[in-house]
Amino acid sequence: MKPNIQYRLGKSKFFKGLIIVLSALCTVPLFIILIYILKEGFSKINWHFLVNMPKPVGETGGGIANALVGSLLIVFYASLIAIPVGVMCGIYLSEKRNTRLANWTRLSVDVLQGTPSIVMGIVVYFWVVKPLHTFSALSGSVALAIMMLPIVVRSTEETLKLLPDTLKEAGLALGLPYHKVILRIILPCGISGILSGVILAVARVAGETAPLLFTAFGNPYFSTNIFKPMESLPLLIFNYATSAYDDWHNLAWGAALILLIWVLLLNIITKIITRKWRVQF
Amino acid sequence: MESTILKTINFNAYFGENRVVKEVNIEIPKNNVIAVMGPSGCGKTTFLRCINRMHELIEGTSTKGTILLNNEDIYSMHPILVRHKIGMVFQRPNPFPNLSIYDNVIAGYKLNGMKISKPDKDAIVEQSLQKASLWNEVKESLHKKGTFLSGGQQQRLCIARAIAMEPDVLLLDEPTSALDPISTSGIEVLMQELKKNYTLIVVTHNMQQAARVSDKTAFFYLGELIEYDITKNMFTNPKDTRTQNYITGRFS
Amino acid sequence: MIKIKLKSMTQFETEIRDAKSEVINMWQLVLSQLTKAKDAMLSFDKDLAREVMAREKRVNALELKIDRDCENIFALYCPVAIDLRFLLAVLKINTNLERIGDIADGIARYIANSPAKFNKDFLASSRLIEMYNGSISILSDTQAAFEFENTILARTIFSRDEVLDTINKNADENIAKYILEDLNNINEALNILSIIRKLERVGDQSKNIAEEIIFYVEAKVLKHQ
Repeated sequence: MKPNIQYRLGKSKFFKGLIIVLSALCTVPLFIILIYILKEGFSKINWHFLVNMPKPVGETGGGIANALVGSLLIVFYASLIAIPVGVMCGIYLSEKRNTRLANWTRLSVDVLQGTPSIVMGIVVYFWVVKPLHTFSALSGSVALAIMMLPIVVRSTEETLKLLPDTLKEAGLALGLPYHKVILRIILPCGISGILSGVILAVARVAGETAPLLFTAFGNPYFSTNIFKPMESLPLLIFNYATSAYDDWHNLAWGAALILLIWVLLLNIITKIITRKWRVQF
Repeated sequence: MESTILKTINFNAYFGENRVVKEVNIEIPKNNVIAVMGPSGCGKTTFLRCINRMHELIEGTSTKGTILLNNEDIYSMHPILVRHKIGMVFQRPNPFPNLSIYDNVIAGYKLNGMKISKPDKDAIVEQSLQKASLWNEVKESLHKKGTFLSGGQQQRLCIARAIAMEPDVLLLDEPTSALDPISTSGIEVLMQELKKNYTLIVVTHNMQQAARVSDKTAFFYLGELIEYDITKNMFTNPKDTRTQNYITGRFS
Repeated sequence: MIKIKLKSMTQFETEIRDAKSEVINMWQLVLSQLTKAKDAMLSFDKDLAREVMAREKRVNALELKIDRDCENIFALYCPVAIDLRFLLAVLKINTNLERIGDIADGIARYIANSPAKFNKDFLASSRLIEMYNGSISILSDTQAAFEFENTILARTIFSRDEVLDTINKNADENIAKYILEDLNNINEALNILSIIRKLERVGDQSKNIAEEIIFYVEAKVLKHQ
């Protein structure tokens, strides 16, 4: 009897150890990337870097001001589109579990999530760029918005589904009309989950390059006009990193670091919000 | 002679084709506590939810028959108005977790967009919490969220929230089944106080509670109202065998 | 589906059933006491009389037990409706039966302390024997009424008790006549008068028992009418 038990305990220990090792292994790529980009990009960042325009080839210095502002604007407009639509959709899906519309919507959202980002870019090219006869930040925002939708919809739906039915009943029993129950009770209670979903969606699309290739296109000049092409960080990194010039490589490293910091910050903020604003039942 | 505040005439409620409340005729006198009891699945909760028109919020449900509140047919009124006049307290205490205690009590007004001056709001909050026997315990922490309160206190907060709307009738769906015995008896004492100003209809699984708390008791079985009598009489000498079998515990 | 339990009984139903059989035991005990006291009186058997006096302890003990059992059921099960009325009736009937037990004991004491046998003829002419048989039969019928929830039988007790009352009322005259016949008869006569009074009380207690039975079965209160 005894040796048998030892053997099984040993197997169990080995299994536990294996899990720990493999988990640690998962963090390795993250750390390698972080360390490498930090190393390369850190020295390139300074105030000039952030507020200056990229200089033509040959000149030293230069910065990523237009890309920075461009990214912020494109993502901002994308959020303006995606958040209302996504949240409303999430509300509908959490209310109606089994109607045909709900089932079709869920299917569409899931398919959308799996659609390659470059396909998204091409489609928006035909929908928005061609009719407007110009590349534009607007079309970039539309593409990014479509990519944000599934995340916002799903997280809203899951958050609201977790809220107990008694909350809605309490509101209805007080004589509140349905829309008030949703807007003033259900949404505020689920705000932490919904907000974290939104921020995650933003973090996700902040670094998307492919959809912007044929939509926002890029712009060497500083522009805030949404109907004109606009530069963005991922585009800049793509273009400059693949170029032949060292100066531009430096800019690309710096930009990569900025992007990384942006995504990291957003994720940390999400965690803080989720914990602080969580509504206890 | 007590006046009748709520009356149902040949009332039926359906889940799809399934009739779960059958031809109920009952008259509820004002300022009384009426207990509604019966075995599981007898339709008492469904019946209660029909009175404040919450039953129809479920898909596929329907009703037939009349319910009169002060001689007005509640099915010809707007459901929102019905729910302003007939409040409800649920089995699990459900104060709004994102609102403070103050805002919870005033929620019926505030969230409905009714404009009231601050002194009026303060008065309503204080009176409702006083009537719910909660004022002294929370008056120092009105602006804190209600989730730190105990189960019994949360339930009293829900009662305060419901009575802040000055309803005619207050419906209570097993209000103490999620509470410990001390909180339970606190709520029962509260019910005796509340009946001075409101009429209470309480659905309860706990027969001793029905006996302790109510003036009249209604016994439902398989959707029908079997017996409806003064509580004392029902518990010493019930008229129907089924009632007798239920209250002496001979149903399985 | 809701079914009425027929097969397995709950603890509560078992306790009610046990309380009922305990009370019936009390009935049988008290009836046997009363009957034995009568036999002791008729055959002037002092040993039998002393046996009755010794058994009185058992009657008292059984009364205490029944009281305690009812108290437990009240505390644990909060009975209502017919169960409540049943237990309230049991408590009162218990007391009534204990008093009848006391009476049987008292009669036995007279026999045990009496120097001489009672005059058989006088026992008959004073209608004591008739009264004694009547009271035993009434008590026995109350037991049947209780056991089978027979309120019709219970209602017959009232008129039969009146017969006992009549005998009691006329007893004064009869006893006085007996004493006047022979002054030596005084002790015997007074004992017989006492026994007659006691038997009248047995009738009264039985009447009370009948009222309790009707209360418990029909929820009708007939007391003090």
